[in-house]
Amino acid sequence: MTNRMTKGWFALFTIPLLLIFVTVVIIPFLMGIYYSFFDWDGIGANPMVFVGLDNYLQLFSDTRFMDSAWITVKFTILALITVNILGVTFALLVTSALKTVNAARAMLFMPNLIGGLILGYIWQFIFTDAFKIIGEATGFESVFFNWLLNPDYSLYALVFVFTWQMAGYMMIIYIAGIQGISNDVIEASMIDGASYWQRLRKIILPLLMPSFTICLFLTLSFAFKIYDVNLSLTGGGPVNSTELFALHIYNEIFGYGNYGFGQAKAVIFFVIVAAVTLTQVYITKKREVEM
Amino acid sequence: MKFRKSLLFLVAITVVLVLAACGGEDNEGNENSEGSEASSGEKITIFQSKVEISEQLEELAAEYEEETGVEVEVWGTTGDDYFQQLQIRLNSNQGPSIFSVRHITEAEKLDSYLYDMSNEPFVEHIAPDMALEYDGKVVGVPYGVEGFGLVYNKDLVSEEDIADYESFINTLEEFNGTDVDGLSLAQEAYFLIGHLSNYPFSLQDDNYEYIQQLNNGDVTMADTEEFQAFGQLMEDLRANIPNPLDITYDEQVGDFATGKTAMIHQGNWAYGMFEDYDLDFEIGMAPLPLLDNDKLEVGVGSNWGINGEKDDAEVQAAADFLNWMHTSETGMRYIVEEFGAVPAFTNIEANDLDPLSQAVLDATNSGETIPWSHNYYPANVIVNDFVPATENFFLSEDVSGDDFIDSLDTAWQNATK
Repeated sequence: MTNRMTKGWFALFTIPLLLIFVTVVIIPFLMGIYYSFFDWDGIGANPMVFVGLDNYLQLFSDTRFMDSAWITVKFTILALITVNILGVTFALLVTSALKTVNAARAMLFMPNLIGGLILGYIWQFIFTDAFKIIGEATGFESVFFNWLLNPDYSLYALVFVFTWQMAGYMMIIYIAGIQGISNDVIEASMIDGASYWQRLRKIILPLLMPSFTICLFLTLSFAFKIYDVNLSLTGGGPVNSTELFALHIYNEIFGYGNYGFGQAKAVIFFVIVAAVTLTQVYITKKREVEM
Repeated sequence: MKFRKSLLFLVAITVVLVLAACGGEDNEGNENSEGSEASSGEKITIFQSKVEISEQLEELAAEYEEETGVEVEVWGTTGDDYFQQLQIRLNSNQGPSIFSVRHITEAEKLDSYLYDMSNEPFVEHIAPDMALEYDGKVVGVPYGVEGFGLVYNKDLVSEEDIADYESFINTLEEFNGTDVDGLSLAQEAYFLIGHLSNYPFSLQDDNYEYIQQLNNGDVTMADTEEFQAFGQLMEDLRANIPNPLDITYDEQVGDFATGKTAMIHQGNWAYGMFEDYDLDFEIGMAPLPLLDNDKLEVGVGSNWGINGEKDDAEVQAAADFLNWMHTSETGMRYIVEEFGAVPAFTNIEANDLDPLSQAVLDATNSGETIPWSHNYYPANVIVNDFVPATENFFLSEDVSGDDFIDSLDTAWQNATK
């Protein structure tokens, strides 16, 4: 009786979600794989020509795809570092004995509440107009110029805005982690005479490993898949120097009308993101310490 | 008992959710066979590409609704990626009833959707050769005739200053270093390179023929005299005008309207923007004198097409709307006065045109025009490939005009392979 009961409950809660998940994730995903074997321009009425694995073979000689892949890797590494360092720092700050802790938390989390598209447009304005004005006013024109016009700096601009957006979010996860550390160990270390740095290095950070696992995973996959900020801030320019993976796939499919080829890229993209994030989770999991 | 109640509640919610999901599917099925509620001819939707006329079109739609009771919903326009957005909506069966078809290459792609308007009453009024025809069918009604060239401030520049190539560049050089910029371009794809790139094509004896040869690889731009001159023009522009990648369309027009820029390369559509400013000087439009060219670039900007995949009632309602727009007093007034279009219809009279549109109309009437070529470009080549090439050219002084033309050649081959 009770067994049947739990099964009923189980079904009640999972089946609706499962249905939604299957229709909006699994089915489109399988369709995407299916389309990647065709040469097709994406217009329903036009013929689809089966080309087998040609799309996948063609991928590796596509220099723009390779460039885009490299830019994405660069972006992800930079973003991973900045977002998490800032996230931890913020978390440590707002869990300390500051008076304005609550206000600070709210302020730091705020950028995450603004949608990526709007954030991109706001920062586009800041980089193009505000930076120029600051540069002219202060004389630091080597730092304050329109970053979006320089192929190297526009990638940094993207990292900057992404960090601005995500650091607050990661901060919340780190705060939860820090607050989860039992006071006993902290107190014990204080009695033993450990300095703040020793405490941080030997106790807080190791015990924060589970949070690191989550945050690194989230930043990695968010950074790899970033599209909205990329689109609104730089649009992939100048000279395609900030065309990250997701935007590149969009351009291939809807700009050039190569639906099948673009889908092949998307499938490869999925494989890479899955491989990288799973490896990362595996590695950081191993470093987590049990209390 | 309490437990029972909450269980019942949960079951109810689940059932509602599942039904809603299934209900959605049912609707979709119906649409093809008998037509669902939303598309019974009582309501039509418009998705069009011209940002400049969005608000005015909404007003026109409201007037139409008042007069006939048919609801016209105007969707927001998206700008440079209009065609992609249209494609997404058409593919997911959520396409509009009326949409923009910019030119024949797009008509070719959308052929399966385009409704044949040959028998609609308003088609006979379209000016000769101005209808968008594909495969012997009339598939598009022109928005109007448009032209572009150098829009100049008559207080700062006189017509003789820009009459031929040499004096044009001299004028730019004179402005260079003063507070006033001689000329400005804007960062948007068509304003940056799309329109400019027309000149070397349009100056060919037969631009369509030339583009065919280019597609077949029989000629290259680098070996064509007009393009070599165009490369030189780009170098001279780079040396004398502010970096266009730093300037948006709004800023370009704003700076011109406030006298900070003497000339802009724009078309008559820009006049709508000047109405937000009090211009205290006269403006004119002159040809860009590449190789001493003295003719304006004039063509049809975009066309209204009807989505033939919708059910008959909605297609008819859409055709009725276009008919009303091009034959009723209100519609014709909107086309000329509110959209600021130079009408491509013989039954619409154009009085009191703004100076830019007047220049286009005069040029059209006297035959002093060269045709638009970008309508024949490979689909999306401007946004996809010309823009990165141009950005590269403007960002790095090392890229010569010849290199730039080479990169356009590469872009073209990439798009036609």
